[in-house]
Amino acid sequence: MTMTHPGLPFSWQILIAVFMLLVSVWAILVRPPAKARYQGWSLEQMPLIGLLVRFLNSSPWPLLFAKIIMVVIFVTVIFAGLQGTPIPERNLATVLTWNLWWAGLIVAIFFLGSAWCAICPWDALATWLVRRRLWGRGKLNNSLNLKVPKWLRNVWPALLMFMALTWFELGVGVTLDPYATAVLSLLMVVMATVSLALFEDKAFCHYFCPVGRTVGYYSQLAPVALRPLDPDVCAACTTLECYHGSDKVEPCPTHLVMGTLKENTFCTSCGNCVQSCPDNNVSWHLRPQSVEVKQDARPNWDDAWFMLGLLTLTSFHGITMLPFWYDGISQFGGWIGDSGRLLLSFSLGMLLIMFAPIALYAGLVYWAQCWTRKAIRYRQAFSVLAFASLPLAFSYHIAHNLNHLVRESHDLWTLFTNPLGVGTQPLSMMEKHERHLQMIISQDTLFLLQGGLMIFGFWLAIQVIRYRAFALYSETRLWVLPIIFFAILIHGFDLWLMAQPMTMRM
Amino acid sequence: MKSRLLLTVLMCLMTASVFAHHVLGRPAYSLSDDSNTPPSMQVETQIGDFFVTYMVFPAFPQPGQQGRVNLYATHRDTGKPFNGQVTFVIKDDKWFGGHKETLGTQNIDDGVYRQGFLVTNAGDYIISAQFFSDEAPYTIDFPLKIGQVSGIGPIGIALIIIVSVLIIVSLMQRKRLLRGKIQVAHKDAT
Repeated sequence: MTMTHPGLPFSWQILIAVFMLLVSVWAILVRPPAKARYQGWSLEQMPLIGLLVRFLNSSPWPLLFAKIIMVVIFVTVIFAGLQGTPIPERNLATVLTWNLWWAGLIVAIFFLGSAWCAICPWDALATWLVRRRLWGRGKLNNSLNLKVPKWLRNVWPALLMFMALTWFELGVGVTLDPYATAVLSLLMVVMATVSLALFEDKAFCHYFCPVGRTVGYYSQLAPVALRPLDPDVCAACTTLECYHGSDKVEPCPTHLVMGTLKENTFCTSCGNCVQSCPDNNVSWHLRPQSVEVKQDARPNWDDAWFMLGLLTLTSFHGITMLPFWYDGISQFGGWIGDSGRLLLSFSLGMLLIMFAPIALYAGLVYWAQCWTRKAIRYRQAFSVLAFASLPLAFSYHIAHNLNHLVRESHDLWTLFTNPLGVGTQPLSMMEKHERHLQMIISQDTLFLLQGGLMIFGFWLAIQVIRYRAFALYSETRLWVLPIIFFAILIHGFDLWLMAQPMTMRM
Repeated sequence: MKSRLLLTVLMCLMTASVFAHHVLGRPAYSLSDDSNTPPSMQVETQIGDFFVTYMVFPAFPQPGQQGRVNLYATHRDTGKPFNGQVTFVIKDDKWFGGHKETLGTQNIDDGVYRQGFLVTNAGDYIISAQFFSDEAPYTIDFPLKIGQVSGIGPIGIALIIIVSVLIIVSLMQRKRLLRGKIQVAHKDAT
């Protein structure tokens, strides 16, 4: 018997749909200001939280301590996956990795930006193995420090890895396989270590890591970011310790200069700049969530594809958890003569679901281009307007993941006390029902959060379209219509997905 | 078309895997609330013209413990059960070599093909169910883990890769540094 989570109620669907229409009309009628104005606030100066931020910035030890804890948990996950029970809901590896971490990570970005990358266990293990020290500047001769080949200096590898991860997750079913989860975790360590041993700095984080890049792009929408306290100090700086590092501190792992940093995408929150700055001029800032994606982030062709990839793959996640996905793919497998695990059918379905929205987007950008008759290259318009997909993907992704987090992540104490699931039995139907009913928060609160997120995501997307398109074309407003149409279609589809019953992961 | 039906479904790419309803071909472990029987492992898959479900009792058989496989095969279009003979074979789940043994050939009994097994050594095995329909051969492979098997293999492979890379990189770097020193010494000498 398949257990499903209820979808968003009809009243919420109507409310969100009406909001979407009203905001769309407003976006067409009201001319946006030329540039978004905002002010950031240093978190160090804030009461209570300032104490914590100052403590974190005071020395490398708090971060190192957090890394050690994460590595211990990560190693436990690998051990539990390889040695523990194959029952997914009883093994720490599957529950912690897929129900708690993978679902919670996206929610965490909403509050903490790319903080995960700072305590990433596979990067920590790779760094310790290659640099042969827990913290600080390692000997150079532990890595070949090769330059990453020019054809690899983009996020295409990360996009392909993200697609592969989705394929393993939903097609092969790694999420329900503790052993495969452990093998995948080991693979991340191997890839991070080999990359660090061959290439200079953190090439894996910068170009290859599907998790890191997902975190990076979504972090554009985070309310916190590492930035200079006083931009004038950075402007007058000639030594650039944030970029080059110091005697004791490693350089920025992704080649960022704090004085010119305007986007979170490649910041791994490692804190090297905080530690190395001789003027103590770098710290965490609180800022409006929309400013970076609206105007500060620089458009690039490969970035645009990654963001569109995120958008389509998040929707694809939702589609595969619809109760009729199984029958649909089975039927499709019958038509094309696929057998066994229907991986060919799944792969084709995945590519088709990825292709359709991107083709729609490409066509609508072309329509907008034709409409404006501006001499702007299509590739540029494609890259700039793709920022609109980020809030759409992010809001749906969090709203979807909240279902997993709230409805499937309790009873963790039992899992931590028996991570291998020794002597446990599969969940009985009664236990499944109990889990279904024992939610961390009430169902109405969950719907409120999900509905709020869907509204927030669409609002941000419309803001992005207005600002980005105005900066691109700087005149009439009607040309935003095709891209607004795209946002309505995609978000409308995601809203429909949210309204459907969702199959429980395990 | 006929040749396409020569299908070997390897559902044992990863041993000890688990099934959810939206992932075809993954073993699922379930507990029957209506009886005191131990949990069973169940896998559903699609092969040629048939939907196939097989169940293993108990879900985690131990060495020397009697176990049973139940196999259901229904035609995809008509929903009728396959009515013929199914041969069950067990073999070691190894990349190279491995022992192979026929468990038995069974006729349909109340819509089910039942095959008992008893394995004395712990390890990873594959049970193959083989039958002919419309003169086309069908082979369905599924994993069977007997007892507790060490899962250290992947850690060993990961360690070998990491250590090899680190040693090679270290040697290359030392060579590079040495070459640099020699070049400097040559320059100083001239």
